[in-house]
Amino acid sequence: MLSQQAAAEVLNAALASGGEFAEIFLEDRRDNALVLQDNRIETVHSGRIHGAGIRVYVGLNAVYTYTNATDRDGLLRCARQAAAAVQEYRSLAGIKPFYVPQRENIHHIKLLPSAVAARKKAEVLRMANAAARDVSAEIAQVICSYKDSEQDVLICNSDGLFTTDRRVYTRLACQVVASSGMENQTATESPGAMMGYELFETHVDPEASARSAAETAIRMLHASQCPSGIMPVVIDNGFGGVIFHEACGHSLEATSVAFGMSEFCGKLGQQIAAPCVTAIDDGTLANEWGSENIDDEGTPTNKLVLIENGVLKNYMIDRLNGKRMGMAPTGSARRQSYAFAPTSRMRNTYIAPGNDADDEIISSMGDGLYAAKMGGGSVNPATGEFNFAVQEGYLVKDGKIAEPVRGASLIGKGADILMKIDRVGRNMKMAQGMCGSLSGSVPTNVGQPMIRVSGITVGGRA
Amino acid sequence: MEHFLNQLFEAAKAAEIEACEAYIVERDSFGAMIAEGEVTEYKSNQTHGLGFRGIKNGRMGYSATEAFDEASIDQLVRGVCESAELCEDEDMEFLYDGAGEVPQMKLCIDEDDNIPASEKIELAKQLENCMKAYDSRIVKTNRNSIRTGRYRVRIVNSYGMDRTFTEDSYIMFGMAMAKDETSVSTGFYGVAGRTPDILQPEKIGTETARRAVSMLGARQVPSGQYRVVFENEAMADLLQTFCGIFSAENAQKGLSLLKGRQGEAVACAAVSIIDDPLLLDGLECRPFDAEGVPSCAHTVIEDGVFKTFLHNLKTAYKDGVQTTGNASKAGYASAVHVAPSNLYIKPAQKTADELLGIAGNGILITEVSGLHAGANPVSGDFSLLSKGFAFENGKIVHAVEQITVAGNFYDLLMNIREVGNDLVFPLGGIGSPSVFAGEMAISGS
Repeated sequence: MLSQQAAAEVLNAALASGGEFAEIFLEDRRDNALVLQDNRIETVHSGRIHGAGIRVYVGLNAVYTYTNATDRDGLLRCARQAAAAVQEYRSLAGIKPFYVPQRENIHHIKLLPSAVAARKKAEVLRMANAAARDVSAEIAQVICSYKDSEQDVLICNSDGLFTTDRRVYTRLACQVVASSGMENQTATESPGAMMGYELFETHVDPEASARSAAETAIRMLHASQCPSGIMPVVIDNGFGGVIFHEACGHSLEATSVAFGMSEFCGKLGQQIAAPCVTAIDDGTLANEWGSENIDDEGTPTNKLVLIENGVLKNYMIDRLNGKRMGMAPTGSARRQSYAFAPTSRMRNTYIAPGNDADDEIISSMGDGLYAAKMGGGSVNPATGEFNFAVQEGYLVKDGKIAEPVRGASLIGKGADILMKIDRVGRNMKMAQGMCGSLSGSVPTNVGQPMIRVSGITVGGRA
Repeated sequence: MEHFLNQLFEAAKAAEIEACEAYIVERDSFGAMIAEGEVTEYKSNQTHGLGFRGIKNGRMGYSATEAFDEASIDQLVRGVCESAELCEDEDMEFLYDGAGEVPQMKLCIDEDDNIPASEKIELAKQLENCMKAYDSRIVKTNRNSIRTGRYRVRIVNSYGMDRTFTEDSYIMFGMAMAKDETSVSTGFYGVAGRTPDILQPEKIGTETARRAVSMLGARQVPSGQYRVVFENEAMADLLQTFCGIFSAENAQKGLSLLKGRQGEAVACAAVSIIDDPLLLDGLECRPFDAEGVPSCAHTVIEDGVFKTFLHNLKTAYKDGVQTTGNASKAGYASAVHVAPSNLYIKPAQKTADELLGIAGNGILITEVSGLHAGANPVSGDFSLLSKGFAFENGKIVHAVEQITVAGNFYDLLMNIREVGNDLVFPLGGIGSPSVFAGEMAISGS
């Protein structure tokens, strides 16, 4: 993609008017997307993302320029543009000789998407569509999409790092609409992994995913409105982990912490969650959706304990914010593409398995809400205010799961909710999401065993 | 570029693609972000991308690239062929022949952007200073941003259509955090426009800080049914989330409950909704749509009666009507879909304060969050984390946080009692005045 000699020229040009550190991130990505809707393959799309970003550190801040012209001349132009912005500062740094680190590829790919015909990819969608429609005559629409991408990156910097990586992703998404004619309800299942087409041979059954979404949509079509108010809530495993992702994860990213804009600033070593809560962010899990070999600054990923028995242990830190915080980077720097400067982001984030039995968690809760499947959510890290949607919910009456309810959302403040978790089950499961923040949209896993929150505001209409 | 296009069209012809089109976007942009006097982000770039589509055996195929090299020509043509071959969509596909007069619109300034980067950064620093000067309880500011850019779209196809327009954008926004003995709150505000005169740090900084401070001491209210007034920006956010119900594409796929309801009352008589790509107040102005069809305004809802869906060439042909010029692409690489341009609820006479007076007692919602999760565009249902103020006898009594407002957008349109006069387009093409929405379910303590 880029020779070491040209890379050295570009880095030197980027540092021509000062700056302590320069970096090139070069990306070539091939994407494929197929959409099935109305029982037929509707669009088939292929694309190529190709560009490079150049970053120069100026004190605790950085200048970022990017371009699609990735030949030597194009990159030199881009580097000079960065250098021009550095003008007013002066601190000279040379570049060190390159070294290429040796490391093992953790994420083996068996069937590269580019080696699989689009026809075979379309088959997956047809299977999912048929399975969803088989569930009920009330299934009015099924929209299935298949996406894959092969991203090759080259990352080199003035400290001498020169490294490459390949990330391969495959994902299926099934959105099912159930309709009574007067009312619609929808549900989605979106399994994926850092894998090629083998995802569908060893990991994900497209029919089972589609059926699961269809069953949820039908149940919600016949559910009554969820009541409002503060009540105990049990959140099941899998995508339920979005509660930790929103209520706490974002507030532990250096993007918020380094600027004092997080409710968890200065709380390392303190009890921020109930003692039954241990939470982990792990970028090394083989072939998981949020994993990588190296992050987008070239730092190897790791397994990071965020909270241990309720005590805050670590933040997620990128290289630049690490300087500001006086702390080492954690292999958490990520970006959607070359068009974004990298910053600290979650990878595979989950609450670790605890000691409670699922049956007991529900039977001892009295009256409340059981959230079997969660939808998405968001958070304001400065105040910790979060919100998320319940995709499939049930009332619990006297410790027994009762009728299904729809339209519920859960709101609260992260710090409160973490302290109110009073049960953590044993069966941890992860699910896939796309997480949006300063450096764009990146694949992340959320996960948890079943948990119970002793009291949370449930927003419903009844 | 012309050489690349010639080669591409030649290669497409050789591959028996009957008609083809290139959609080219060029972007030149700058962005800086300030926190505590420091430039925490400085970004500048020149980028381009080309979306390619073509009809083969009656089916449309798509591909795209950011690299204009030999390898891309092959990839683009092969991508379109493979895509067209697999596609099973039986609807008629079209490329536009370029008929019709394109309206004259001035969307960019005449000269190149000649404000130096250092001056833009200075404006963002002033923004921060204005927030801090507003009130001593503003303890921090963050993500104070200025963004400027020029964006050029060109559509060229094998029928000889070759259209282009250039648009400038200037955006400034900030976030302030306020703190007193008992509470922390944040305020966010931003403005966007096509000329640099919208970059007014004092006005924007003051409003951002005012929003943060006004929420200090906010508390929950008990769960129950309340009269709800949505402030203009919050109502625009709701309309943004649910505007897909006006898309003919969604209706044809069973994703809009307005299907088959043209001519019926679907909203209260006080509500008219207009889509106007020529309206310079909104940010989604354009002389032609993503298929090259000349722009004009349409009334979607008139005095509560549903008049028309928004169409592109394909959905219009299917319904036997004329396109409304609402073909849209989410980016150069995207397929052509349907989307509103500047879509807004037509303002009426009363001020927002008068709406509170009419409502008497209730909750004024100023901000709704988590729209991507708590609102379902297909069912119309929403349950959203909200902020705002409780009011009694038309006067604000205290700030409210940690509540949800829940309902259904279709019901909301029917239940609107009054429409205000304060139309805004918050950072986009969707606009609304404040509305008194009748009674809604609020969840709190």
